[in-house]
Amino acid sequence: MSEQLNSQDLQEISDTDSEEFSTVERCLTFESGDLILYISTKYVIEIINNHTITTLPLMPPYIQGIINLRGQILPVVDIQQLMGKTESDCSGNTCIIVLDIDSVSLGIIVDSVRQVIDIDLKNVRPIPLKRQQKLLNGMVTMEDGSVFMSIDCQALSVPQ
Amino acid sequence: MDNGMEGMLDTYLFETNSLLDRLDEMLVADEKIGDFSLDDVNEIFRIMHTIKGSSAMMEFGSLAEIAHHIEDLFFYIRDKGIDSLDSQHKKELFNLMFRSEDFLRGQVEKVEAGEALDTDLDSFSSDINNFLKKISGASTEEPAQKETPQDTAAPAPSASTDNLPDDKEAVCFLHVFLEEGIGMENLRAYMIINAVKECGIDFRYYPENMESNSETSATIIEEGFFMAFESEDDANKAAGVLRTQGHIRSYELAAMPEAEPEAPAAPAPSATAPAPAESAAPQKPASKPAAKSAAPQKPAQSAPVKQNLISVNLMKLDSLQNIVGEIVITESMVTSSPELNQLSRDAYDNFMKSARQLRKLTDDLQDIAMSLRMVPISGVFQKMSRIVRDMKQKLNKDVRLTLIGEDTEVDKTIVDNIQDPIMHMVRNAMDHGIEDNVHDRLSAGKNAQGEIILSATHTSSEVVITIADDGKGMNPDKLLAKAREKGILTKPESEYSKKEALGLIMLPGFSTNQEVTEFSGRGVGMDVVKKNVEAVGGVVSLNSDEGKGTTFTMKIPLTMAIVDGMKVTVGKSIFTIPIANIRQSFKIMPDDIIRDENSNEMIERMGSFYPIVRLHQFYNIATEVVNLEEGILLWVENSDRSFCLFVDELIGEQQVVVKPFPAFLNFFELKNFGCSGCTILGDGNISIILDIQSLYSAALENSQ
Repeated sequence: MSEQLNSQDLQEISDTDSEEFSTVERCLTFESGDLILYISTKYVIEIINNHTITTLPLMPPYIQGIINLRGQILPVVDIQQLMGKTESDCSGNTCIIVLDIDSVSLGIIVDSVRQVIDIDLKNVRPIPLKRQQKLLNGMVTMEDGSVFMSIDCQALSVPQ
Repeated sequence: MDNGMEGMLDTYLFETNSLLDRLDEMLVADEKIGDFSLDDVNEIFRIMHTIKGSSAMMEFGSLAEIAHHIEDLFFYIRDKGIDSLDSQHKKELFNLMFRSEDFLRGQVEKVEAGEALDTDLDSFSSDINNFLKKISGASTEEPAQKETPQDTAAPAPSASTDNLPDDKEAVCFLHVFLEEGIGMENLRAYMIINAVKECGIDFRYYPENMESNSETSATIIEEGFFMAFESEDDANKAAGVLRTQGHIRSYELAAMPEAEPEAPAAPAPSATAPAPAESAAPQKPASKPAAKSAAPQKPAQSAPVKQNLISVNLMKLDSLQNIVGEIVITESMVTSSPELNQLSRDAYDNFMKSARQLRKLTDDLQDIAMSLRMVPISGVFQKMSRIVRDMKQKLNKDVRLTLIGEDTEVDKTIVDNIQDPIMHMVRNAMDHGIEDNVHDRLSAGKNAQGEIILSATHTSSEVVITIADDGKGMNPDKLLAKAREKGILTKPESEYSKKEALGLIMLPGFSTNQEVTEFSGRGVGMDVVKKNVEAVGGVVSLNSDEGKGTTFTMKIPLTMAIVDGMKVTVGKSIFTIPIANIRQSFKIMPDDIIRDENSNEMIERMGSFYPIVRLHQFYNIATEVVNLEEGILLWVENSDRSFCLFVDELIGEQQVVVKPFPAFLNFFELKNFGCSGCTILGDGNISIILDIQSLYSAALENSQ
């Protein structure tokens, strides 16, 4: 009994530890339209390209369809259309990033994947025009002056 | 509690529930004959003994106590022979046993729900005891005595050393006394010993065979048990461990008299009962050994037949089936891969030979994986026996339930889904079907005893379950009148055929019973039955002849996981339509099309007209085939909905593994628009499986 308590205490201590010290998060950056976006790597399962997307009838246009990823059926979302822009042209470097957001699996279509970087969450600022944002929930300026936008994973994992 | 405890609880619940099921089965069967067979008396005794034992182990007092009383009762009956009871007593015994079974089940349900168990058992246990007294006359002394835990003054903890076990090498002993009345003393002692052993202390214990010999319980209650140590250090360490254990009343360190004369002076704090805090969680340290000791305790008395069954988590079976499904698909992907054509002829022949072999093996594998999920339907049927029995008494109707084809095997999910519908229909048959008055039956020339026939049979792809009663049947006119009252008629009364009128009872909001009784008429009517059956892909139909009885028929596909499908193309999409829904496929000429005022297209088939649904139009798919004569029409049907689907082309027939759409897409309710799931084809592409029923509703009923 006493052992259990101890380990629980330890658990709590380590939890608070991680909260205090890990404001830096590994993020995958990618391009979609004219935006550079990033998403925490903890949600990213893999990046695939050249997948045949099966369209589903009677779906809103931003649901591109479903793909067969080694026997698993995944929905594919076109985030450009979700943000109210034109359909992404599925050519060139277009690829699908497979995400797992709180055990909801889905793929998003992006124009190209850049790299994995560390982003200090302390530097992330809210987007001034909050009410107009469907999918983005933060922005961060990098050292070279470029601005990256953060994808709101919760909004992404719940269809509207 | 920790995991060990959880696992044990699972095992306990599984075991107890199956024992209660077995008990139920026996009671219902025996009651029919009106007598207990000798074997059954023994079996009930064993069942109660096992329930008592395992419940006491898990510290479910109420279960243990009632099981204990029944065990006593059957101990007596076994002793005197069942024939010593007169028929009146037997009848009472049956009622008592059914009540006990219900009580035990109630308690087990509480355990499952994590609720507190009943503590006030006096009235019920005295019922059992009174019955025992009644049947045994004055001679109840012997079993009655067994019931109360020994209240005699506990043996003094300062037991003299002269009854120390004979162990020459031991330097000192720990003499342990357990708390009174905890039951299963030998096993508890063994658990304590195991706990000490796990701490790496080497010792021997007496009585030596306590874990396998339940008779040592008595000795342990009276004289406690001993642990013999070769060094005092060990003994002191062990004493430390004992402090953490539950159920110990007291323990005492005793030295070997001759070897260590100074030992009595050794620090032997005759520790009094463990602190309350420790006894609050008594099972925790004991749980691990308990799992082991639960097993040996059972075979001691249970039936000699060796069980060749194991219970497996359904999740594991599901994933097994999924993987097998994948293997089947992958196999066909490999064997149909276009690269094979580049092989030389010999190599290709060799490859195909092995491929055929592989095919055979995967087919076998698939069959076995499917059969694993199959369970006999008898479990559900048995429950109905019980329901009929109970209702028979309450409604005062004489009805016999005939079961046919209990051994029929059905997928586990289906069994779970059809239990409630069957129960509902049996209750309906009892309540409304069978005549209230025996004279009505006799004057109609029927047997005084009503009959409900519950039967299950297999066809190649379906299970057919029928529930038939020989009661008063249904009057279509009355049904129509009732439906008019409720305002659920959709067309003039005169246009309803008999079949349609009968079908009215399956509509939501239709219940012919004016009053709500204990058994039926509570608003959950036949519509729920229909829904449940349709949820597993089945259909319900009924036939009723007034004055002769009613028959409900459920047809349910054997399994929902694999479907025989016809692949069709529309534009670039491939759809799969269950073969079971397809009646015909045909090409037509432009003249065959008939249009109504809204220029909806129809076609005549075998004397009736059917609407045409253009799949490319409904789903908005770009295709080059837009003229009806270029593509092909499929005449599809599901229960009473029948129409024609227009598609580009038929590709062929294939068995497909049904996969649900990703949870993410549930929001869009694809199921309401004719898509029931998807499947992965041999080439890795995805095909959407169409659900004819909802396609009809979406395309034809809701479109106007």
